[in-house]
Amino acid sequence: MKGHVKGLGNPGAHLRRTLVSGLALALALGLAACGGGGASSSGAAEFHVLVYGDATNKVEQRLVDEFNRTSEVKAVLDTIPGADYQQKLQTIINTPQAPDVFFNWGGGSIRPYVDAGLLLPLDGFTKSDPALASAFLPSVYETAVVDGKPYGIPMRGTQPVLLFHNKKVLADAGVEPPRTWSGLLDAVKALKEKGVTPIALGGGDKWPTLMWFEYLYDRVAGPGLFAKALEGDRSAWESADSRKALGMLKQLVDAGAFGDNADSVKFTDGGSPALLASGRAGFELMGSWAYATQQEADAEFAGKDLGYTAFPAVEGGKGDPANLVGNTNNFYSVLKKTRHPEAVAEFLKLMYSDRFVKEQLSVGNLPTTTNTEKFLGTAANPAYSRHQYELVEKAPSFQLSWDQAYPPAAMTPIHQAVQEFFAGRTDADGFIKAMQALPTA
Amino acid sequence: MSSHMKTRIRKQTRSRTATGAGGDERGRVRTARRSAGGGRAPDRGRGASRRARERYGSRVGRPGFVWAVPATVFFGLFAITPLIMVAALSFTSWSGLGPPRFVGVDNWTRVFADPVMIESVWLSLLVTFLGVAVQTPLSVLLGVWAAGQQRNRAVLSAIYFVPLLLSTTAVSVLWRAVLDPNFGVPSRAAWLFGDGNLFGTQAGAIGVLAFVSTWQFTPFHTLIHQGAARAVPRVLYEAAEIDGAGRVRQFFHITLPQLRNSVITSTILMVVGGLTTFETVLILTQGGPGTDTTITAYYMYQKAFKGFDFGAGAAVALVLVVAATLVSLIVVRVSGYDRMRSDMEGVS
Repeated sequence: MKGHVKGLGNPGAHLRRTLVSGLALALALGLAACGGGGASSSGAAEFHVLVYGDATNKVEQRLVDEFNRTSEVKAVLDTIPGADYQQKLQTIINTPQAPDVFFNWGGGSIRPYVDAGLLLPLDGFTKSDPALASAFLPSVYETAVVDGKPYGIPMRGTQPVLLFHNKKVLADAGVEPPRTWSGLLDAVKALKEKGVTPIALGGGDKWPTLMWFEYLYDRVAGPGLFAKALEGDRSAWESADSRKALGMLKQLVDAGAFGDNADSVKFTDGGSPALLASGRAGFELMGSWAYATQQEADAEFAGKDLGYTAFPAVEGGKGDPANLVGNTNNFYSVLKKTRHPEAVAEFLKLMYSDRFVKEQLSVGNLPTTTNTEKFLGTAANPAYSRHQYELVEKAPSFQLSWDQAYPPAAMTPIHQAVQEFFAGRTDADGFIKAMQALPTA
Repeated sequence: MSSHMKTRIRKQTRSRTATGAGGDERGRVRTARRSAGGGRAPDRGRGASRRARERYGSRVGRPGFVWAVPATVFFGLFAITPLIMVAALSFTSWSGLGPPRFVGVDNWTRVFADPVMIESVWLSLLVTFLGVAVQTPLSVLLGVWAAGQQRNRAVLSAIYFVPLLLSTTAVSVLWRAVLDPNFGVPSRAAWLFGDGNLFGTQAGAIGVLAFVSTWQFTPFHTLIHQGAARAVPRVLYEAAEIDGAGRVRQFFHITLPQLRNSVITSTILMVVGGLTTFETVLILTQGGPGTDTTITAYYMYQKAFKGFDFGAGAAVALVLVVAATLVSLIVVRVSGYDRMRSDMEGVS
């Protein structure tokens, strides 16, 4: 029957059906690859470095070229276009096509590989070159420590989540950037009276909504609650602090802080940044990359009216107001089966070199090495880079985004839970139940 | 009288083609027509063409099974084999790392106890049903119109056809932008869209999904109906005109019955396409709000490629295969498509 229909050749239906067969095929190929022998690709002395494909690749290529000038064993840079990175990595990492060194987000993104015994603990490297640990900010370095052993060396930059605002909109409403939660609630009220959406939220993407939970849980309960939950202590979610944080979020939502159509707005298609830039919203809670996004869309606004502060403190909360959440950094991890561990160790040493720091700063990334401070003046936007660097340096805790800290299977349920809570479709009990049902490592 | 004959011949031709007997129809028709001569009486014509068919059959023969080998091998390799492997995978637990671990029916019990899974099947059926219910009348009307000889018809038809040439991904991105609540159409038409929160409610999100696939795939089904409407013998309309039937009557009593098989064909394509809808959901709603548009194909993707639970993903995929096969079979049975009944019923 299926063959019959296929013969008629509706290109659309065909395409869609291809996805189903595509899954099947991918699964089949994956299986075949598993069964295949472990023959290495070539006898040449080289190792492969796999990174997330985007604009930063040109910096990585220059570093690889620099490394290859002096090294006997050559590094080869491979890239996978952004959106598919995690999927592709997962399907090749246990096959002969696996890279030697690969980009990741630390935390939950590498834990399954550590558990599967695929990754090389880097304590051997740090023993012979202590700078491979001490040259990086501790709050960042911690993210890639699994079961007490380091598994990743920071590369690229840090991306803390900041509260951005439109200076002009705030001034028109007579509002100061809030330093406390009650200040934020007052600002929301004042902006609403002005007919402005107080806070732009790309609810369609769901992870921007999650950022509000991450910060509020931190401010109310301190970083310990989430750490406990992540270790498998499900009672953490029903604690009094958890309920308090949820109550405050509910209060914010009910105050109309996010307008009435946030679920149809996205950050990724430029919707929520445009709300902020056009003056139709006052605030947006977003990763530090939002600065670059705004600059690209409207350089004048980014230079003149785009303000940024840390997330407000919560009165009486247990969390330090200097705590951060976000993408602590990206990391390079090393596969156990690499045939050139010495060369890889040499390559990783480049990640704290002056050259690396300057290159990263020039494209707008903020590395987290201890020598970064020296070069902040050379950054694409010195004031912004310095502000972030100081936040990260002083942060007692830097919590990796929840959806990256949990194993990949938890990502969709987390996103659904935060979205439904904000939309008022579930209450605190429903949210707590959803979080307790998450698979932990 | 001679037109009578012609339709009879065409009837046989048509049913032959439809059952897929072979390519050399024209030759056979010519033979039949020649042997039928002027066609003095209906029964004589029938007998003559039967003789012609027999003669033709003994001389040339049906295409041998060798012809089907390339397609069969291809289908076996890229459809049947993976399907069997997916079936095997659905009894294992596999994250993509290490070898799959056999877990018996664990995935299956989880899948059938999963409310999201059950909901996703209903959502798939709903999206499919909406697609058929909206697109069929639209494409029949457009197709019949496009089959005519009006001025500018060719130009307009070409324009209507454009959405089909775009990739579904591009179409979804486009509509996402057009339907942006702050900068798109809804912000200018509050009387229609209210607060513009289309993707924040289940009805809104499903409505958008149905609308976007209608926008993209109606042209394809229009094309099917256009072809079929052109094939309706002119004599039927001439006869109806003599009997005093107006255009509306002609449409309902001639065109529509004559489009029977093309409607069934396009319905089956819509059903299969609807059940396997994926890109529009991926880009427009990501299964949201909540799980309100998590249809089965998208759920499979979530399980397998976002959660890396390939075992459960495989089970979901198989549920979809079974559901799609059942629905298609029902459509085929109920519509009589499998018997390929002629749409010339009652003409002779």
